[in-house]
Amino acid sequence: MISMRGVEKYYAPDAPALAEVNVEIEAGEFVFLVGHSGSGKSTFIRLLQRELLPTKGQIIVAGQDVVRLKNWKVPYLRRNIGCVFQDFKLLPNKTAYENVAFALEVIGRSKHVIRTQVPEVLRLVGLEDKTESYPDELSGGEQQRVSIARAFVNRPPILLADEPTGNLDPATSLGIMSLFNRINKTGTTVLVATHDREMVDSMRKRVIALESGHIIRDQHRGVYGYGD
Amino acid sequence: MAMAINLGYFIKESAVNFRRNWVMSLGAVITIYLSLLLVGVSMATGFIVSDVVQSVEDKVSIQIFLKDGAATEDVEALQAWLLGDGMVDTVNYVSKEEALERFKEEYAASPEMIENIRENPLPASLDVTLKDPREVQAMVDKIIVNDLFLKVCDRPDDPEQSLKYGQEIVERLFAFTRIIRYIGVVFVAMLAVVSLIFINNTIRLAIYSRRKEIGIMRLVGASNWFIRAPFLLEGVMQSLIGAALAIITVMGIQAALLPWLRDTLPFLPVDLTGSAMLQMSLVLVVAGIIIGLIGSGLALRRYLKV
Repeated sequence: MISMRGVEKYYAPDAPALAEVNVEIEAGEFVFLVGHSGSGKSTFIRLLQRELLPTKGQIIVAGQDVVRLKNWKVPYLRRNIGCVFQDFKLLPNKTAYENVAFALEVIGRSKHVIRTQVPEVLRLVGLEDKTESYPDELSGGEQQRVSIARAFVNRPPILLADEPTGNLDPATSLGIMSLFNRINKTGTTVLVATHDREMVDSMRKRVIALESGHIIRDQHRGVYGYGD
Repeated sequence: MAMAINLGYFIKESAVNFRRNWVMSLGAVITIYLSLLLVGVSMATGFIVSDVVQSVEDKVSIQIFLKDGAATEDVEALQAWLLGDGMVDTVNYVSKEEALERFKEEYAASPEMIENIRENPLPASLDVTLKDPREVQAMVDKIIVNDLFLKVCDRPDDPEQSLKYGQEIVERLFAFTRIIRYIGVVFVAMLAVVSLIFINNTIRLAIYSRRKEIGIMRLVGASNWFIRAPFLLEGVMQSLIGAALAIITVMGIQAALLPWLRDTLPFLPVDLTGSAMLQMSLVLVVAGIIIGLIGSGLALRRYLKV
C-alpha cells in the first residue's frame, strides 16, 4: 500500500531530513512512526501526501507513483489518503456535521451520498449526539473525533495521522487510539506518527523509529524504544 | 447532476466572498465600471461620428461654376468628359435659375438677403459626385488642368475659385475622430490596468480569508479547478456587474443627450442604432469577462497553491 525505496529529502544541501529510507507497508497494516521532534516524521508524512517531493528515490502510495504523478492528479491521490493532525484543522464556523460533509462536498459527492455517509461515520466515531455542535462547543477529544470522521468519511484505503494525540490527555488519547484500531479493523492501512511512548508501548503494533532522518528500527509488535 | 451542485456551490461561495470583502469588491467593480464606461462611451461616440462622417462624405461634391453664356456644347463636352472618368459617379447641371431657387430656399429664414437681389448673381454649375469621397482632391487636381474646364469656368483667371468642394471638412472630421480614438485607447488601457490590480487584490484577500478552507480542500482531495473556480467566478462577477452598470449608464447618457444633440445640430444625422448599442454591449461584456478572468487568474497564480 505504501512503498518507499531509497528515499532522500534535503531541505538544505548538507543536512538530510530523510536519508536511505526503505519502507514497505502492506494493505491493512497498523504502523507507528516514532521519533523526536525533527527526526523526520512530518517530512515522511508529507512525502506520502505529496505535499513534498523527495530529493531522490521512489514512493508508491495506493498504487500510484507519487514522484511522477502529474500535478492535476494529486487531488485524486489525496482522496485515497485520510489525514488527521494534532491541531484538528476544523472549520470554526461549521458544525461537526458540516465539517465532515464539507470533505465530501468539495470532491463533488452528491447530496444523497452526503446525507447517508456523514451520519454513519459520525456514529462510528461516537459523536452521533454532537452533530450540530460547533468545534468550540466540543472537547479536544471530540474535535479530534470529528477530524477523524472527516478523514475517514470517504473510506480511503490509507489513514495518516500526524501527532493525533499531541494535544490530548492520556485517557482521551486512549479513546482516539482505539478508534484508529477500529478503523484499521475495517481493512484501512493506518500510519500514526507520534511520540506518545505509553500509547505505542500499550498497542503492540509495528513500530518504525526515525532518528536524524534515518530509520534506526523497524519492528513488528514493537515498543517505543529503549530509554532516551 | 454533479455539475449542477457544483455551480450552485461556486455561486454561493463567490457571493459569500463578495460580502466579506465588500469594500475591496466595490473598488474593483467601480474601476471596472469606469474603464468599461469609457470604452462604451468612446464606442458610442465612434458610431455616431462615423455616421456623421459618412453623411458628410455623401454630401461632398465638387461644384464647377460656369461663366454666364458658356457655350452649351462646351459644357456638354465637359460633362461627357467627367462622366467618362472612373472616379466620377454623377454629374448634374444646375442652371442659374435653379441655383437662385436653391439659394432662396436656403435663406428662407432671412428674407432681407433675398429682397436685395435684383438680378440673378449666381452662376450656373455642374455638380459632380464621386464614387469615393476621399478622392475629391485627386479629381479636383484633374479638373483644374482640363482645357474644357478652363474654357467654361466662371473665373478663368483664377481657376481655383471656380471650384468648391468639401475636402477640408472630411479631413478635419477624420483627424478629430483619430485623436479621440487615441486618447480613448490610452485612458482605457490605464483603467484596465487599475481594474486588474483591484481584482487581483480582492481575490488575494478572498484567498487569504479562506486559507483554512482551501487547506482542508487540498487535504481531502478537492480538484484544483474546484478550488480555483469560486475565485475566478468572483472576479468575473465583479467585472460583469461593472459591465452591466456601464451599459446602463451609456444607455442613460444616450437617452438624455441624443435628443439635445439632434436639436443643436439639426443638419447632422446624430443617431445611435439598436445594433450599434448591442454591439457595444457585447464588447463590454466580453471585455469584462476577459478582465475578470485575467485579474483573478493572476491572483490565483501568485497566491493560491494547489
